[in-house]
Amino acid sequence: MKSQIFLIAKKELKGVIRQSSLKILFTIIIILLGFAVYGGHIAYKHQITMVETAQEERRAEWLDQGNKHPHIAAHYGTFVFKQKTLLSLFDFGLDTYTGTSVYLEAHYPHEFMFRPVQGYGNMIRFGELSAALVLQLLLPLLIIFITFQTFTKERETGTFKLLVSQGVSIRTIYLGKVLAYFIIISIIIVPFFTALYFVGINETTNSVIRDMELRIVLLFLVYIGYLWTFTNFSVWISLKSSNSRSALLTLLIFWVVTGIIIPKTSANLGETLHPLPSMKIYKEGIQHDIANGMAINESKEKRLVKLKENYLQKYNVDSIHKLPLNFSGIEMQEGEEYANKVYDFHEKKLHKKFELQNKTESLMSFVAPYIAIRNLSMAFTATDWHSFNDFQRKTKTYRRHLIRTMNNDMAKNSRHGEFYEYKAGKNLWETISDFKYKTLFVTKVLKYYRIELASLTFWFLAMLLLIPSSFKSKMI
Amino acid sequence: MKLILLLWQREGISIIRNIFQMILLISIVFLGIYAIYYGYSTITKQQKTIENVQTIEKNEFKNYINSFSNKRTSVKEKQLFNIASDPAYAWYRHEYHAVLNPHSLAHMSLGQRDIEPYYRKLTAASLYYQLFENELANPLKLYIGNFDLSFVLIYLFPLLIIVFTYGLYAEEKENGMLPLLRLQTVGLRKILLIRISFYYLLIVGLGILLSSIGFFIAPKTENLTIFLWIATILCYFSFWFALMFFLVSLKKNSSLTAISAAGLWLLFLIVLPAILNVYANIAYPIDNMSLADITRRKSLENEEDLDEAKAVIEEYLHHRDDLKGAKALIDVNTMSKAYAAFTALNDNHHKKEVVDYFNQIELRQKWISLFQWANPAVNTQSILNEITETDAVIFQAFHQSITNFHKEITHFYFDKLFLNKQIKNKDYENLPKFNLTVDYISKIQNIKGGLIEIIIISFFLFGLSLVLFNKTIFLKALKK
Repeated sequence: MKSQIFLIAKKELKGVIRQSSLKILFTIIIILLGFAVYGGHIAYKHQITMVETAQEERRAEWLDQGNKHPHIAAHYGTFVFKQKTLLSLFDFGLDTYTGTSVYLEAHYPHEFMFRPVQGYGNMIRFGELSAALVLQLLLPLLIIFITFQTFTKERETGTFKLLVSQGVSIRTIYLGKVLAYFIIISIIIVPFFTALYFVGINETTNSVIRDMELRIVLLFLVYIGYLWTFTNFSVWISLKSSNSRSALLTLLIFWVVTGIIIPKTSANLGETLHPLPSMKIYKEGIQHDIANGMAINESKEKRLVKLKENYLQKYNVDSIHKLPLNFSGIEMQEGEEYANKVYDFHEKKLHKKFELQNKTESLMSFVAPYIAIRNLSMAFTATDWHSFNDFQRKTKTYRRHLIRTMNNDMAKNSRHGEFYEYKAGKNLWETISDFKYKTLFVTKVLKYYRIELASLTFWFLAMLLLIPSSFKSKMI
Repeated sequence: MKLILLLWQREGISIIRNIFQMILLISIVFLGIYAIYYGYSTITKQQKTIENVQTIEKNEFKNYINSFSNKRTSVKEKQLFNIASDPAYAWYRHEYHAVLNPHSLAHMSLGQRDIEPYYRKLTAASLYYQLFENELANPLKLYIGNFDLSFVLIYLFPLLIIVFTYGLYAEEKENGMLPLLRLQTVGLRKILLIRISFYYLLIVGLGILLSSIGFFIAPKTENLTIFLWIATILCYFSFWFALMFFLVSLKKNSSLTAISAAGLWLLFLIVLPAILNVYANIAYPIDNMSLADITRRKSLENEEDLDEAKAVIEEYLHHRDDLKGAKALIDVNTMSKAYAAFTALNDNHHKKEVVDYFNQIELRQKWISLFQWANPAVNTQSILNEITETDAVIFQAFHQSITNFHKEITHFYFDKLFLNKQIKNKDYENLPKFNLTVDYISKIQNIKGGLIEIIIISFFLFGLSLVLFNKTIFLKALKK
């Protein structure tokens, strides 16, 4: 039986190679893949240079700001920029749609600014060509084109009956065909991922990703799984269709519905179901809570009075002037801490909404496997929302550390009522180490993508079930 | 005429009998209705935000005006009066909002309204510090884009056209009907055209029907806008019909025709634009990192140094000939004036970087628009966005108008500050107002230009197909 499968695969491969239109399509796919990687690579290099320059400039500015009051240093703060990861040359993910820089200053946690898409004009809504797009949408289309008539044609020309009458089971024919097409797909993706792997482990300019090898292996596995599923599905549709035309139509409709319509409608539906507040309202909510407190008796004034009492009691003095520290510094830091609490609370609520919105779409991946592969691909290349969110979180921690250090220095080293008289210098600025980001380990990212992993597994298993059994095939 | 009606009737019956085609038609109608609903709810939400913002602003200024007639006994009331009347506080406390109101048909083509900000809070403080804030958004949602009516018309309707027309010739041949048709006195080409025209009317009708729902729920719409919208979808659908007619006239088998049609759909709607975007990225990279620094809060080097403060004011007054009288008055409110001067100078210093940034964006867009004519899908999307004022150009105009508005605000407060004048109750009648300046003439011209490009391509394809169709018959006759 095994040799029969190989024989059929060989025959099928010969058939495909003879078709010149498929050769053209095949070449187009490879050219597109090459162009996408080339474009991704240039964008990556460019971005890396820009980020490095900008980051170095801001760092130098921070260190050479001269002698000044630490709170003023905290006030005018510094910047952090979002680094591109090497794998983003494969899958741009959300990079175009997230902000690229964030301003870190005292009193006020800023949002990320400058979404690159804002400079891209109307055209960007048609999407960017990335290698991931080629593998996720275009390669399946190629699969459809080469497989839709694999059984219908045999049936139309009468060779199907001939084969079966010679004792070859449908199962064997089916497996042979799937094998043949899968070999064709592998000719594209195996060298591609091998190359990506070697580029990935040898690239030294970017140390943002620590588990490059694992990420690329995972990418390879999910893509192989996805494309195998698609091949299997297309062959199965061809087997079940009465003629080539209806097989093609069914497959094309499946492609459009699951690749274009469902992802878009479900994301939009997610937004309709869980609408976001406007920035204005969101920020006002935060400011309101900072001023009036998140609980009763926690208004700004009351918090200050309480803080004062605590400190007077702690140091057993009757006036803040007698405290061994500068109370203004304590007060400022306390204000920061409370604001952080409020921000965290509101941000958590907001992120919950993001997650609910995205979940609506993730669940649809059981109907549309494209959604699963798209999200997993972004996750493994660290260009997804969770990776961005992790980056954001780390900049937040960095900012808090920076402001706290400045305020504590002021509390410790200056006296109450003094402001311009006290000046700190480079020694203090240097205690804040440069911001160096490392992505989460991919194993930690996986937990956010249980639905996608489950759906891809579901599709994979469903395809195994679709393979005709050898028993059944003997009956035809 | 009788023949036309007869053939149309036949097509009508064949659609009704074909469950698959019926399901397709009905799903498109439902998707269209959902798209309109989605667009409408998005715009309604934006409108609510705008109203909210405007109410906040209105109340704020009402409080300022009222503070003139208050007795000002409490500390809060005194503070409010100070902010209302003293330009030294008012210039950075009075908050204005520049708003880009949605066009009445914006819900039908949302364009860039989710990516670009549609309102901005402004004070007289440094413009750039205030200019680059984003609206809250889920990046994944931005990436996926909007499911609005323009998406349905541009992406999904062509698929409908493909499904209905790809087999018009080949299927007759494959079903063995062709020799029968050839026996008729009416030419094959004529029969084919009549049949295509049936689908043309059906699909155009469906497009207009869906659009009408969009027009119907719009508050008030000019007839010209409705006319332009319908003209655009007519042109776009005509292009796809011409393209299909072209493919059909090649007389290949139905599978190959369907593959070619699907391939062209993919080419026009996904591959070509996506390649162009990547290429634009390489050719015109946009460096927004350089702008980061200018959005930062800054202040005088030595905040307590009076001499430095005066030097800053002097530098600013150097640029303001109209404030000549103010020079002698530097000593009053010096610190406040110094800050005001500092923020204005800061904007001056960074102007070049910002202008460069926006120039780069413009260059990129110009370069991309060089290719737009060749892709009717992209062209149509641009035209629809332009009609509903959701395109990139309108946001550039918005941005430009904000810059002017900020200038007005700055003058309003700084003039009073530097000339040591208080803000009076009656000054509130002449507050700076935001005006959006849009070049409507070039907008209409762009739309016209785009439509002509699509029509020319369609006619060219149609003409070519007519010739091809005859030619193949001609060649076959020769062979016989």
